[in-house]
Amino acid sequence: MVPTDPPGCGGNEQQFWIRAQQLEKLPPCQAECPNTGNVRGWLGIIAQRQKHGLSLEQAYDRAWKELARRNPFPASIGRICPHPCETRCTRGDKDGAVSINAMERFLGDWAIDRNLPLPLIEGQSHTESIGVVGSGPAGLSFAYQMARRGYTVTIYDRRIQPGGMLRDAIPDYRLPRRLLDAEIDRLFELDIAVIRGVELGKDLTLEELRERHDILFLGMGAQGGRRLGVPGESGPGVMSGIDYLRRRKLGTNENLGNKVVVIGGGNTAIDAARSAIRDGAAVTVLYRRTKEEMPAAAHEVDDANIEGVEFTFRSVPTGVLREDSLVTGIEYQYKQPGNPDEINQLPTDTVIVAISQEPDWQGINLSGDGDKWLHTEEDGKLADDLWAGGDDRGPGVASRSVAHGRIAAEAAHARLRGNPRPQPVRRQVGTGAVKTDYYESQVRSERLRRPQDEWLEHPEEEIDLTISSEEACQEAARCMSCGLCFDCHQCVMYCNAGGYSPVENAGPGSYFSLALEMCEGCGKCIELCPCGYLEAREDSSLAAD
Amino acid sequence: MISGEGLESLGSISANPGSGSQKTLTDGSRVAVVGSGPAGSFFSYFLLKMARTMALDLTVDVYEPRRFCERGPAGCNHCGGIVSESLVQRLATEGIALPDDVVQRGIESYVLHMDVGDVEIATPVEERRIAAIYRGNGPRDSEPLDTHSFDGYLQQLASERGANLIRRMVIGVVEEGDGMRVHCADGTSKVYDLVALASGVNSRLEEDVEEHSRQFMKPVRTKTFICEFKLGREVIQETLGPSMHVFLLDIPRLEFAALIPKGDYATLCLLGDDIDEDLLDQFFGSPEVKNCFPGGEIPMHVCHCSPRINLGSAKPPYTDRMVMIGDCGTTRLFKDGIGAAYRTAKAAARTAVFHGVSAEDFEAHYWPLCRKMDTDNRIGKVVFAVGSLVQRSRFARRGVLRMTSLEQNQSAKQRRMSEVLWDLFTGSAPYREVFLRTLHPVYIKDLVWNLIAGNARRAEKSKSANGHDGEGRHGPH
Repeated sequence: MVPTDPPGCGGNEQQFWIRAQQLEKLPPCQAECPNTGNVRGWLGIIAQRQKHGLSLEQAYDRAWKELARRNPFPASIGRICPHPCETRCTRGDKDGAVSINAMERFLGDWAIDRNLPLPLIEGQSHTESIGVVGSGPAGLSFAYQMARRGYTVTIYDRRIQPGGMLRDAIPDYRLPRRLLDAEIDRLFELDIAVIRGVELGKDLTLEELRERHDILFLGMGAQGGRRLGVPGESGPGVMSGIDYLRRRKLGTNENLGNKVVVIGGGNTAIDAARSAIRDGAAVTVLYRRTKEEMPAAAHEVDDANIEGVEFTFRSVPTGVLREDSLVTGIEYQYKQPGNPDEINQLPTDTVIVAISQEPDWQGINLSGDGDKWLHTEEDGKLADDLWAGGDDRGPGVASRSVAHGRIAAEAAHARLRGNPRPQPVRRQVGTGAVKTDYYESQVRSERLRRPQDEWLEHPEEEIDLTISSEEACQEAARCMSCGLCFDCHQCVMYCNAGGYSPVENAGPGSYFSLALEMCEGCGKCIELCPCGYLEAREDSSLAAD
Repeated sequence: MISGEGLESLGSISANPGSGSQKTLTDGSRVAVVGSGPAGSFFSYFLLKMARTMALDLTVDVYEPRRFCERGPAGCNHCGGIVSESLVQRLATEGIALPDDVVQRGIESYVLHMDVGDVEIATPVEERRIAAIYRGNGPRDSEPLDTHSFDGYLQQLASERGANLIRRMVIGVVEEGDGMRVHCADGTSKVYDLVALASGVNSRLEEDVEEHSRQFMKPVRTKTFICEFKLGREVIQETLGPSMHVFLLDIPRLEFAALIPKGDYATLCLLGDDIDEDLLDQFFGSPEVKNCFPGGEIPMHVCHCSPRINLGSAKPPYTDRMVMIGDCGTTRLFKDGIGAAYRTAKAAARTAVFHGVSAEDFEAHYWPLCRKMDTDNRIGKVVFAVGSLVQRSRFARRGVLRMTSLEQNQSAKQRRMSEVLWDLFTGSAPYREVFLRTLHPVYIKDLVWNLIAGNARRAEKSKSANGHDGEGRHGPH
């Protein structure tokens, strides 16, 4: 029976009887994550381990598996991701966002130390052949997602070493090689063949590959450094940031000289500047806007400053100065609002241009209209058999490339199996739905770092350290589980009617069932549910979910 | 945090040699108190106080996940919030003086609303005031006031005595070896030498205990209705005044209904047999209720819920190393639950410290109090049955109205009806006393006379006014 409002209480905007529904919602961390990682899910496994009889070790193992379902490189991404997940963490306004990035890194290291295998989807095996061009984060992510679904995958890469930008562009002091190697090697234990040193457009044609494979994924990245387009740019002593970083890793760089000017304000510019400092040069970064407008992560900029990198803002290069073909300096316009531009010169031996990258199409014309970026459908589809992802669809962070690969694989798999395309759209947790006062205050564990005076003493050694297991436990417990039940028992405790009962096979997110026929409509459970999982039914009727 | 330290201490010297019990609290014994409502806090307070007189060093862990400092349902403890003066005074003799900021306002009179008219009953004796309190820190949406939670205050008293407050919800108590293991919702557990169950009547813990016990039966419960209206201090003063408004209406299954002013708010409290939506419809629809609100309209509530109350006791309210106190053991029918919490808590603490913690100890020293309250509740049921007969009969209501009105107007005379009603509404006196007073020949004589006079007067009036019901508002206003 649907109860009616008592006389005298009708006609109000507020309902007399309020009935709850259990509804999982998208937490802000997941909404902000480029790869929509199930952060709440894997943190919850650790935080709620005792409820499921898991030891701490078992919980870490399981949390890593949950994490690795979407991202096969947690140790790497946990080091280099600008972690937008933390920016809107509900905990942020209370006592600091959960250290999600540090947790991801911790679990990544944990899995490498324990040699944990990547989580396969059991019982699936398919005959279709899958090809991938490029072994950067997008290509590897796509290969991984297809291989774990039971497909045989072949990767083509023009380089000998896999990893794409993860290997070429990220300096060792941010991402130690041995960790990247460990994560990629683990991936190659799946049914993935790698053909190295073959170049699309030179050794193979696109048509050949499409012929060979049922699905072909292009993850070719954007490896070409954009040029300044100023006089004197061509010739020795001027290089792109990406080329500089790659050659540095291979140990094939020429001498930079004593003075280096880096042009740009992104992460590549900062990586190049800090690398050049490590190569013994005095480094100045020229950026055309202000410090606040730099696209690079703020903490990277600060670290560069600490290491002695100089910054000149509002400066637009107008020419590279040369004497006898050798670089002697750079000329730039200093833009001051309200004042006429000044033309300045800065002496230098080397100019590193890190303003942007663009795809190097190696002779293939896919977009047709001359545009350098690929324009795919949202899930990466170019044609029924051709998908793409990563920086060849426009510049972005590594975890976006991982997402591109994963989403394309999910969609391609659905197409091959004749399933509908996955539509993972869920409503976000509303503002104020999480009652932060309910949660005990607990200070955020900041990641530890080596002392500053040691940074350049061991220039290639990692600066950030992994948090301890104890801290990881604490951080996991700080997650408020926005939008999903975490077994706090508030609803059971406050329901006078006994409408909530523990479910038999409780699991993360599923702890209590609600018997609506017992509901007495007081709405206390909704008001007291700290995580926003319970919400009022609009019609207050007893209709089932 | 799982420990069995408590068990190892059982070999040490008993604080009560010669009591005959094998199970006693000794130095270092661990006691868990489940719930920190009045019963749990009183128990912790008295246990630690009495243990101290015996130079007995106990660890007392009080499990209470709620925070009474919170406003709205989070800190609420499901009750009308009335403390009788007899309890206030008894607490004072214990050295517990309720601070002014815990009391929302003193209740100075009762107004009895019936279809045949209203009557105001002033405090019978000067001392017998009533205190209206909030169990949490005020209703939903209320402004932070300079008032404090009653339960929070008692909890603080227990903490000051040395009780450790643990913000965990207990979901199970299971016998383990020579102790009791307390399981919490977060997966932790701990073993204790004694568990005092003070989880009230609205928790599901007792169902779990009942499942695990061969003999224990949880109390029989029924559904009530409590609702909070925000009217504003001035409107409350104008419409309700410093009075508690009681409704004697002819609505089946409704035993008692009262509207209690508290600052900016008024609490509505309905007791009876399974208060449901039909009953609420009738109640809110009756003119006697509507007339208590400004403009004769029932305003929107700020919150409502249907807490349970006991209709009987837990049987038996103890096992070896476990004792049920307050609502989850034995309480008084409909009224004075806080007084019952105080009495059971103190008796259980005394038994545990001075006699022992076995079922036999509780049977010998704790059960007699529960039995006495049980017996009184049986009498109470008869009294309420008579009360509901009055509610059902317009004839009887007229008699009661006339007798009370006359008593209230003639201050010198003994107010037999007023006192009976007062004690019935407040729970200040045992039901046995109330019942005996109604058997007093003078009371019966007065009542019979008023029944005749009250109805005869109406008969005359209706004759002269051609059937018009001329009942007006009686009593001093």
